[in-house]
Amino acid sequence: MAKEVFYSGCAAAAYAAKDARVEVISSYPIRPYTGIMMELSKLVANGELEAEFVLGEGEHAQVSIAYGASAAGARAYTGSSGVGVTYAMECYSPAAGGRLPCQMAIADRALDPPGDFGSEHTDVMSARDQGWIMGWAESPQEVYDNTIMYYRIGEDHRILLPQFCCQDGYFVSHIPGKMQMEDQKAVDDFLPPYNHPHTLDPTKPINHGPQIFPDQGSAINVQRAVAFDDVEAVIEEVVTDYNKAFGRNYSPFVDEYMMDDAEICFFLQGGHARTARFAVNHLRKKGIKVGVARLRFMRPFPTQAVAESLSKVKAVGVIETNTSYGGVTRGGNIAPESRAACYNLDNRPIITSFMAGLGGEIVTLNEFYAMARVLSDSVKSGKANDSYWMNFEKEVLDTHS
Amino acid sequence: MAIEVKTQTMEMAKSLRQVPQEEGYVPGHRTCQGCGPALVYKLVYKAAGLNSIFLGPTGCMYVANTSYLCAPFAGPWMHTQITNGGAVASGIEAAYQVLIRKGKYKGELPNIVVMAGDGGSIDIGLQAMSAMMYRGHDALFVMYDNESYANTGIQVSPTTPFGANTTFTPPGKAVPEGRVLFPKDAPQLVIGGHPAVHYVATASVAYPVDLINKVRKGLNYKGPSFVHLHAPCPKGWLFDASKTVSVAKLAIQTGMWVNYEWENGEYTYQHTPKEYKPVKEYMKDQYRFNHLTDAHFAKMQAFIDARLKAPGKPVAVPVQGPREQS
Amino acid sequence: MSRFIIPKHLEVPLGACLPAPVKEQPGMITGNWRTERPVIDHEACTTCLNCFIFCPDACWHLDEKTEQMVWNADYCKGCMICVNECPANCLSTVNELEFPDGVVRLEKPF
Repeated sequence: MAKEVFYSGCAAAAYAAKDARVEVISSYPIRPYTGIMMELSKLVANGELEAEFVLGEGEHAQVSIAYGASAAGARAYTGSSGVGVTYAMECYSPAAGGRLPCQMAIADRALDPPGDFGSEHTDVMSARDQGWIMGWAESPQEVYDNTIMYYRIGEDHRILLPQFCCQDGYFVSHIPGKMQMEDQKAVDDFLPPYNHPHTLDPTKPINHGPQIFPDQGSAINVQRAVAFDDVEAVIEEVVTDYNKAFGRNYSPFVDEYMMDDAEICFFLQGGHARTARFAVNHLRKKGIKVGVARLRFMRPFPTQAVAESLSKVKAVGVIETNTSYGGVTRGGNIAPESRAACYNLDNRPIITSFMAGLGGEIVTLNEFYAMARVLSDSVKSGKANDSYWMNFEKEVLDTHS
Repeated sequence: MAIEVKTQTMEMAKSLRQVPQEEGYVPGHRTCQGCGPALVYKLVYKAAGLNSIFLGPTGCMYVANTSYLCAPFAGPWMHTQITNGGAVASGIEAAYQVLIRKGKYKGELPNIVVMAGDGGSIDIGLQAMSAMMYRGHDALFVMYDNESYANTGIQVSPTTPFGANTTFTPPGKAVPEGRVLFPKDAPQLVIGGHPAVHYVATASVAYPVDLINKVRKGLNYKGPSFVHLHAPCPKGWLFDASKTVSVAKLAIQTGMWVNYEWENGEYTYQHTPKEYKPVKEYMKDQYRFNHLTDAHFAKMQAFIDARLKAPGKPVAVPVQGPREQS
Repeated sequence: MSRFIIPKHLEVPLGACLPAPVKEQPGMITGNWRTERPVIDHEACTTCLNCFIFCPDACWHLDEKTEQMVWNADYCKGCMICVNECPANCLSTVNELEFPDGVVRLEKPF
């Protein structure tokens, strides 16, 4: 029976994992994702979910346990935040290259030093080259939905890739929102049992991952590139099916709000998009033609969809809640990738970035208004800086308008 | 309705004739001539049989065995990182438990065996090994001990003996013994500290039937077991490739290696010599010890004597810091 | 239509997962490593099975029909552990050059 609930992102992830009938779960505590595992442990303990709840000894082990389970033929689930995500770094490529479609829930968190529980995307963004599918949800509902969709995308025999199912720490993971949990049978119909073409099975023995000659290395890499060439089509199929099955309205790649007649826009991923839409409503009342484009997948980066969306406006403000020190924009990672996506457009928009929400600070409405001012000015002048660190640079110092 | 998970029971071999002729570790691998760990792998596969899943953490028994894009394992086998053999095995064991319970896998629980080197067991792999022992997974952790990080060209590991020349512990004017530290005692790290473990054993290629039976005993015990297997390495220890088994025998005859079992708190010893030969006899024919003086041999003898006096109990070694005080 | 063309000699199984070998792994022939080989005197052999158990490359097995030890020329590396461990002295070490099929020439260096 589908039912409406009021759940945080953590609870949403746990119940989605339950509805996805995950079979091996590996846990380890770290704020703010821990709630997912606490909730799952209860579901396993009282028999509501038939699964092995493995007490991992650390995040590196969690991912290892998950991909081992995946190799043995079980649907595996794990998760982490912050430095836990970076501690497990060694294990991401073996999972992706071994074509083991386990899922890792990420409630993002600023990296040490020093300790900071606040949200920041840098933790898992720094693993974006490891070959996993990666995307952010903006609400508990989307966390639930993505969890289920990502399994179907990753387990598709054309793809066979692990997935990072991400949500903003605290803002999404800890703030409850109204959402719909779906009927188990409907989820079963949408997500068939896990079935992998080559598992570790004594009745069909395989040798998984022998040493290769350097000459053979590029061939393995190309296989993974093929999967990423094919995955966008699979994502479109899966999202379309999900929308139909459950009455949702997701755009596969870029969620647009008031973009069609916009002159400027905010471009970002995750929960701050909701604040951005409120800001847009206010700004529109003042006659400013602004929209929001929300990126739903960081990997695969939906190059064409992003170019199409951003080409609608004259100036794009990327809200970067991630850092890439010394990177080309001296800011974050989304703006450089967005600029690359727009490189071939006849009329490239100005793409600048706003470093906001770092360390877990709230991206306020006033900050969005300041960004809109900078973007409007850039349309007039024809240029903008590569990045503006909100509240720390003269153009964005006083965010009270 | 959960289905009961059935496990295999392995019979003990009473003699070499009862050891199966069938190989699970087939000919065709790039290990050195006379490779001790390769011999260990062959024996462990004979012990476990083909209804087994083997994990190969990075090390000689990964790289040398699987060069290139081919491997000699007749049963299901997967590479793991050197860091996570115990963790990946745990994930596989957990998967099989739930798949059998749900009726998705129809058959007995396969034997799950981690084949890790000394580094992959008690150095970089220590955390994952210990956690597998602690969580009670029904699996066997095999540590093949060639007393170095051999795959990367013979570097020191926590089981390298005092005085051994390795490429990280070369002897020189400032450090005449080369290797200064005394080794970790692998079985002692496991025994007593992991309540789910009922069986820990040491064995050697010198006594292959004993090794096979200990592996089978470990597999038969419900839950995790640990076996520590002596695997002399002609390339790293610098002795003639034909001498692998005789070096292993001499290790036992000098007390440098002790074969024993710890079962539910009780120690039993195998192959105890009536009289121990001096350790110098073992060390003099391995070029890795060629630079040592009588004073060094005496130090090693004192350590071994102390260890033999209180078998199974930790030995306090006088530690003077990283350098011998001159 | 994929933009990738995978040349035959660069084909690799998916995720580097191969079917397990059955009795041997011909992808790593090692018989051409040896410079000498063990030769058995079947009369003197007591089938103690030492050579069978101690060979790291499983190059000795007992033919249960003939009750004779059989040697694997394709893979034996010539380490001579078997010679060293034979209690009946029925194994001798002989240089590869003594045999017409000795010292296999490689087409290209390993």
